[in-house]
Amino acid sequence: MDFMTSLPYWGIILITILNAVLVSRMKITFDDEPKDDQPKTDQP
Amino acid sequence: MIEYIQDFWPIIFLTAVYLVVCLGIGWYFKQKASAGVSEYYLAKREIPGWVISLAFFSTFASSNTYIGQAGQSFKYGLSWAWVGFFWSIFCVISWLILGPKMRFQTAILNSTTIPDYFQFRYKSDLSKTIRILSAIIILFATIWYMVGIAKGSAHVMESVLNIPYAWGAGLIIFVTFLYTSWGGMYSVLWTDAVQGIMMFAVAIIMVMIPVIYVGGVGDLFDVIGNTQHVDLSGQPIGNGLVTFGSLVSFFYILGIGLAVGMKQIAEPRCLIRFYSIDNAKSMKFAMIWTPVFLGVSLLCVMGLGALVHGMATPDEAAYLVKHTDEVVGFMLSKFDNKLVSGVVIAGLFAAGMSSLASVMLIVGTAFVSDVWNAVKPMEPGRIVHWTKVTMFIYSLLVLIFTIFPPAGIVELTAFSGAVFAASFFPSIFGGLYLKWGTDMGSIASMISGMMIAILWRFTVRFEFEGLSDIHEIIPAFLISCLVYWFVSRMTKERVPDEGHLMRLFG
Repeated sequence: MDFMTSLPYWGIILITILNAVLVSRMKITFDDEPKDDQPKTDQP
Repeated sequence: MIEYIQDFWPIIFLTAVYLVVCLGIGWYFKQKASAGVSEYYLAKREIPGWVISLAFFSTFASSNTYIGQAGQSFKYGLSWAWVGFFWSIFCVISWLILGPKMRFQTAILNSTTIPDYFQFRYKSDLSKTIRILSAIIILFATIWYMVGIAKGSAHVMESVLNIPYAWGAGLIIFVTFLYTSWGGMYSVLWTDAVQGIMMFAVAIIMVMIPVIYVGGVGDLFDVIGNTQHVDLSGQPIGNGLVTFGSLVSFFYILGIGLAVGMKQIAEPRCLIRFYSIDNAKSMKFAMIWTPVFLGVSLLCVMGLGALVHGMATPDEAAYLVKHTDEVVGFMLSKFDNKLVSGVVIAGLFAAGMSSLASVMLIVGTAFVSDVWNAVKPMEPGRIVHWTKVTMFIYSLLVLIFTIFPPAGIVELTAFSGAVFAASFFPSIFGGLYLKWGTDMGSIASMISGMMIAILWRFTVRFEFEGLSDIHEIIPAFLISCLVYWFVSRMTKERVPDEGHLMRLFG
């Protein structure tokens, strides 16, 4: 299999990992849920 | 009869268990869902993240993905996985860019449908028109999608269980209608979650079949890496299955990748999932895991057809390359294991019914809440009742079209996805992020997106040489985004009041 044919296969794995890292570093809050003691940003 | 049951018992048993579970979930939530519009339409925004995540995955991926797209790689080779790569990117974009913001704004606006979001967000004398127009687009575009899904599932029942096509279509549509009408969004989401688990497992099972049949990954790639099977033009494929762009142009892949993948950022059946999520922690979970569920499944499914070359004789391959929808059925019959067939068939039904149920509820809410109730308000207590009646009538209509499908239904289904993406995305993205977006910008982009998609498809794409691989989604999407920007800028005076924008944007 050449590089360009294999790219989408490992590319899918790569973007799911990058997405997981990015999301885990995000702070998300909604106004309609009970507040807790954790510091939160105003909105997503 | 006894002989029939002996032949098909694993498939009948597993399919029956699956259908009973779906109906059981619908019945369980019947009373809770009927409490009010918020419960029936949105499951009261109290659904955990893992359920929403699986529901998004199972709603977006359908029997078309597991049968149609998997089969396409028999013709186009492993390069077809690029389509899955684009779909995964749009899944990430949808959850990262639209998910949290949409959940946040729709809760503030008390929005229960995508069309009413447009009305409440753009807040003007024209915004009710946007709501009704978008609901009409939903009603028109979704019927072809539903017919396509029901048709695919009925064909599976006919070919695998020898159930007459019309009876199979009737059974699938009727069972889906029952559990959807009983439990509303509760049963749609929880059955979607069950279906998502099945689909994820089935994708992994499916990709293992050719590997086991041939005797290992290395042996399989030796076989498909240089094959004497012929392509559509009758020429030997050689190393085409594993060589980029050898059997299909990248523009064609890009068109399908965008047209279908962009449904995740524009189609109400996907976007409505964001509304029901219960809290920020759940949102984070779903943002991480939805691309994993979808990505891994697509990794397994999108190149499957190319691997099936390893199971086919040259004569069988010459037939299958012209009938790619039969590739998965061929693979199961060649593998000849009743239990595996039973599990995979149940998974294929799950793939079809999860998409069908989601769209069915969207249609009911669009007609009753966004057209009927918007034009002539009704008592809140009657909205759920009439939503169920609408779903029943629409289901009958879908059944009729499924039994007597119009010509070119498959193309029409793909085309309706392009219409959604081009006409809805600018208004959704602009509504969530651009304070300067106006009602005029929204309505102009909807109309232009729809018109360009129709014009490109029917008067340009197939009339000029070299343009046939450029899908209508590309010009329609670009122009509708430009129109939204230009018209909104030209109608600055129609931007909603500052207080309204402060609530939405902080």
